[in-house]
Amino acid sequence: MRFGFLIDNRKCIGCHACTVACKSEHDVPLGVYRTWVKYVETGHFPDNRRHFTVLRCNHCDDAPCIPSCPVTALYRRDQDGIVDFDPERCIGCKACLQACPYDALHIDPDTHTAAKCNFCAHRVEVGLEPSCQVVCPTQAIVSGDLDDPTSYISKLISREPVQVRKPEKGTVPKLFYIDADESTLTPSAATPAKDYGIWNEMPNANANGNGHNPAILEDSENLLQDLVAKSAKTVYDVEHPAPWGWKVSAYIWTKSIAAGAFLLPAAGFALGLVSDNPLLAWGGPILALIFLAITAGLLVWDLKRPDRFYTILIRPQWRSWVAIGTFILLFFGAVAGLSILAALVGASAIVNVLWWPGGLLAILAAIYTGFLFAQSKARDLWLSPALPVHLLVQAAFAGAASLAILGVVVETTEQTEEFLRTVLLWGLIANLFIILVGELWLPHGTRDAAKAAQMIWRGQYSQRFWAGVVGVGHAVPVILLIAIPLGLAPAAAILAGACALLGLLLFEDIWIRAGQALPLS
Amino acid sequence: MSVFKPQFPESGQLANYPPVDQWDDWTEYDPDAWPQKVTKNYMLVPTVCFNCEAACGLLAYVDKEDMRIRKFEGNPAHPGSRGRNCAKGPATINQVHDPERILYPLKRTGPRGSGQWERTTWDEVLDSLAARIRKALQENRRTEVMYHVGRPGHDGYMDRVLQAWGVDGHNSHTNVCSSAARLGYTLWQGADRPSPDHANSRFMLLISAHLETGHYFNPHAQRIIEGKISGAKIAVIDTRLSNTASRADYWLSSWPGSEPAILLAMANVILQEDRYNRDFMEKWVNWQQYMSAEHPEQDATFDNFIAAIKDFYASYTPEFAEQESGVEASQIVAVARDIAAAGTAFASHVWRSAASGNEGGWQVSRCLTFLGVLTGSIGTRGGTSPNSWNKFAPAPYIKPPPQQVWSELLWPREYPLAHHEMSILLPHFLKEGRGKVDTYFTRVYNPVWTNPDGASWIEMLSDEEQVGMHAALTPVWSETAWFADYVLPMGNGAERHDLMSQETQAGAWIAFRQPVMRVAREKNGDAVEFTYEANPGEVWEEDEFWIELSWRIDPDGSLGVREFFESPYRPGEKLTISEYYQWIFENSVPGLPEAAEKENITPLAYMRKYGAFEVKHDTYAIHENPLSAEELAGAEVDPDSGKVSKNGEVLGVEVNGQAVEGFHTPSRKLEFFSDTLKEFKWSEYAVPTYIKSHVHRENIDHGKGEYVLLPTFRLPTLIHTRAGNAKWLYEISHTNPLWVHPQDAERLAFETGELARVNTEIGHFVIRVWVTEGIRPGIVACSHHLGRWRLSKENGGERWSTAHVDFKQVGDGQWFMRQLEGVGPFESDDPDSQRIWWKESGVHQNMTFPVHPDPVSGMHCWHQKVRVEAAAADDQYGDVFVDTNKSHEVYLEWLKKARPAEGANALRRPLWMPRPVKPAAEVYRVP
Repeated sequence: MRFGFLIDNRKCIGCHACTVACKSEHDVPLGVYRTWVKYVETGHFPDNRRHFTVLRCNHCDDAPCIPSCPVTALYRRDQDGIVDFDPERCIGCKACLQACPYDALHIDPDTHTAAKCNFCAHRVEVGLEPSCQVVCPTQAIVSGDLDDPTSYISKLISREPVQVRKPEKGTVPKLFYIDADESTLTPSAATPAKDYGIWNEMPNANANGNGHNPAILEDSENLLQDLVAKSAKTVYDVEHPAPWGWKVSAYIWTKSIAAGAFLLPAAGFALGLVSDNPLLAWGGPILALIFLAITAGLLVWDLKRPDRFYTILIRPQWRSWVAIGTFILLFFGAVAGLSILAALVGASAIVNVLWWPGGLLAILAAIYTGFLFAQSKARDLWLSPALPVHLLVQAAFAGAASLAILGVVVETTEQTEEFLRTVLLWGLIANLFIILVGELWLPHGTRDAAKAAQMIWRGQYSQRFWAGVVGVGHAVPVILLIAIPLGLAPAAAILAGACALLGLLLFEDIWIRAGQALPLS
Repeated sequence: MSVFKPQFPESGQLANYPPVDQWDDWTEYDPDAWPQKVTKNYMLVPTVCFNCEAACGLLAYVDKEDMRIRKFEGNPAHPGSRGRNCAKGPATINQVHDPERILYPLKRTGPRGSGQWERTTWDEVLDSLAARIRKALQENRRTEVMYHVGRPGHDGYMDRVLQAWGVDGHNSHTNVCSSAARLGYTLWQGADRPSPDHANSRFMLLISAHLETGHYFNPHAQRIIEGKISGAKIAVIDTRLSNTASRADYWLSSWPGSEPAILLAMANVILQEDRYNRDFMEKWVNWQQYMSAEHPEQDATFDNFIAAIKDFYASYTPEFAEQESGVEASQIVAVARDIAAAGTAFASHVWRSAASGNEGGWQVSRCLTFLGVLTGSIGTRGGTSPNSWNKFAPAPYIKPPPQQVWSELLWPREYPLAHHEMSILLPHFLKEGRGKVDTYFTRVYNPVWTNPDGASWIEMLSDEEQVGMHAALTPVWSETAWFADYVLPMGNGAERHDLMSQETQAGAWIAFRQPVMRVAREKNGDAVEFTYEANPGEVWEEDEFWIELSWRIDPDGSLGVREFFESPYRPGEKLTISEYYQWIFENSVPGLPEAAEKENITPLAYMRKYGAFEVKHDTYAIHENPLSAEELAGAEVDPDSGKVSKNGEVLGVEVNGQAVEGFHTPSRKLEFFSDTLKEFKWSEYAVPTYIKSHVHRENIDHGKGEYVLLPTFRLPTLIHTRAGNAKWLYEISHTNPLWVHPQDAERLAFETGELARVNTEIGHFVIRVWVTEGIRPGIVACSHHLGRWRLSKENGGERWSTAHVDFKQVGDGQWFMRQLEGVGPFESDDPDSQRIWWKESGVHQNMTFPVHPDPVSGMHCWHQKVRVEAAAADDQYGDVFVDTNKSHEVYLEWLKKARPAEGANALRRPLWMPRPVKPAAEVYRVP
């Protein structure tokens, strides 16, 4: 048995009864919704119309939220294909919110755990239809068994032309629409309202603590306008705040430093640079450990249920890169710690051996976030294949920059300094190339990814990007580093390192924001 | 204890409701604990929603563990709503558990309107009110007791109470609502509402937003969509792009007030193209009467009649209608031809909207019905019937005689054809010294906010000389209750008894509203004497309140009141509310006793179990029902008119030699020609015509910033001033921006979100602009559902939905309101109150409207000619300014348009026309 939903837009009158019945059934708090009705107006008087569409979890057969969850809180029920969730397991990492292309999940302000439509599984099990379907005055909401060709839903799907949202995401959604207007199904096909809707303050006008300001698409940038000169404006919608904020961008930054701070000494060891060099031998692992601790702190802090953090360790979901990453960071920290411990007791043989697994773990720690972003199926910008390499380069120059700065207080050698400067210089050059060519210039797979990239290089983030990331973060340190062999004081490397780190932090911030700036629903 | 076995069907076929036989003991999983399988045991008690007027069924889930209502779903046994609801149905749970609700009767301690209250007892309330009313009756001041109702929620209960008291004191909200449409319908068919059979129609013409509001939102939306899916087309005439217009095949955006011109142009097309239903019209239109009155020189033949009306309507060309309305002539012709093609399966409806907005708006329903008459779709399958066929109000035991008194405060002689009480004029009448009100009940009614010219209501209510005592019976704080002496909390949909019926389809049903917790407790074997014992706090229900009050008005029976409140089962003893309904169910509802017997239960138990009963279905062509032999025995047939009467009472009409029931008009036919209008000095309107509205385009000069303000539209999620206690509804809709077309926005240099000052005849309000293609250029619109306020920070209004304002007199008759604080989080035992994220509650526009009584229907004509401009530098969102002296001047101007019943012995009102709580015929004459 495979349950699915069908919204018959020939019948939907946009009355919001489903929204309220769902709130009542599940006692959904104010500000969040398991199902909602979006209104979009198209056309020009008197040839215009208002379209309504019911939006909610698509109960995908290949639901991206499920593998994204580090603690198996989300699952597809074998008996009926309903995608259900267990709030008792959720740790509030919000990876599922980033994975779902349909904006179906939210964080419940009462339990601080993820929630969404669960097809009223508790009702289905006693033989009752979901409450939204029962209430619907015009029977526009249909549920039923898609595997049974005689069920009403199967018949309708067979007979009528149906649509699904974002089929290109490959999620195999089980929420079908008859007669839905493109402007309501594809978020970029309508221009989001500014401030006020038809009878409501538009959510983006309300920064209620966790609110954010999604990028506003101008009329000329809406997809339908581009395609068929069809003006489409959203006039009712609900708020979907960006799930991730500064703690996540800061975590990527601290993690890059930690990974680089270990990776470079490991590489140095291979190059024979480490012996009798406290900056690399001690500074690297200690720096790595400190920044790993900060990384872990940020990660836990960002959880909505930090009290349940440990459950990743006892109930990991091995397909989740949040879970895998946690173990990578854990082992990486253990090796770094062991290495320091071994060095403290003078077991240099052990230290030398540990450079190899430690170096490998540092690489994994650097790049796994690329896989984590790839699991954020909702966010087109982040689905960049260049990411693992990009993250590795970031880790390399972040490590070089931080070790170079540490070199002020920790004894080092001229050779090492040059090594660090070289890595920093080429790392920055490579990074700039990856950003400009790989992330921004290279044609994007989807319009949303292109839009998000545009926001960075010529949109709302462009000033911070060009002045902060490119100028301060790359051009200044590169010039300084080139100038050192030409006679500038080697101390300029410290300034270059600081600029590079600042630029990296700024870039992560922009990357996280831009990635979430476009509406998913 | 039985073990719970889930009933998951192997077939995957899910049910919409638990089977009725398990309603007393239903187990399902607790969604809060899910996916842990924790069971919850419920008792399911049916009741009726008390939000809009549609009376949809609800099913309350009472958790047996804590005896608390957990949720409301629909009642599948309800023939009108069929288990489905709009957003307001499930939101009833918010209203029940609202932390802001009034739980105990309150008595004012300071001056009226000062906001000082103390808790009192129901005994004290009853004794004090009973003493006043007793004195008024003893002193024969029988027009000084007034009951002013917003949402009745019942059919006839209160009429009986008022007639038992012998007062003429029934006042209603109807003339700010639907008087106009009612008059148009009444003139045609003697019944004041339409009952369209949308589900079986082939074409639907809707002049209200029936898919989002209107009479009757959810039941009609179900059937409109059913019709549409079966292939019917929909046309919507609405200036504004409503959700309904968005679903239509044709949207005709009319200049406000031009609708009769459009409809008559359609009629003209049907007539000129000879596509009218000759058989039906010849039989059922009072054309003979028309011919003899208007064309006595001609032979009264049907062909001459057709020729005459073709000639009469020839000037209503589609081009003329286009010029008046802005709607393309070709579209008007296309709709007219579709209507003609639909023939007898043409359904139509207008309720408020255009009819209530415009001077002459009563012609909208009249011209619309004309299309039904032309197509012969009156009373047919897929057509439109008189509501009286499909609404069933069962008679209570013993009915008091009609009152022997006429209140000129309610039914002034200036407005003899006013369909309902001239309620909007009450403050002006009292100001003029036409009378006083000794004891004034407002019941689920909020005139200070809802009516035009609310400041005049505040002035009236604040003056104890004009209103001696004001008791506000209300489930929720209102702006009006603030100016009461007693605030008496009455139940929501799940906390009261009422019996209702509405004409939602081609059939009739009754639905029983029940105090859910009382019923649940009684099922558990607890004795409950009064509903307030089972309701939250001491929230009561009106039914019991009126019995208790009446008993105390006349404890010894000397005033003749008590006898009507004695038990039909226990002679001489006080009636209980269960007995009242028991008697009705046993004696007045055909088929109910038999249905109950089949289940081996009493009729009352049947209604407590199912909450609804279908009295009849497939009610078509009732006008053709032959009179029975018994009825005909001794009856006379008038040779000219064919009317069949016996003992002075008209029973029906003879058509084609057969005596049938006919319609409940003076001629017993559909009255194309209204002798009544002629008789009451409106002969120019004796047939359906177009009256230019007070906001006709020639009265509007855009160059001066003048616009028509369309202030009447409802939202699908809210209901007047009774939904402010439903957090889920306000979360969806909470503000009422001014809709402005982009062209006008450009002309006025407005962008969405900017502040505009809208100037009316008597003041102004300051509101945000919302630029939309969804409105005709030249018109601005604002929903009347929002803009609620309270005068105290903590009290007097729902903090979910009201702004805290300062509202005071700044000069003689000049009132100024400024918002001190919008909506925001507040502390309560509901954690959601801290999560309120919206900030605006809308702007109160009605306050700035003067009264516009239509000279014929008495309806307040809502549309306003306004001047729109950018807000002044010191204007703030929500500012309202009004001058009640100016509003009195506007009242006097409109009063001049009226044509009063003059002279001794003149009829105050046509005897045949319905009137709420109809008095004795003797008092119909001016003394």
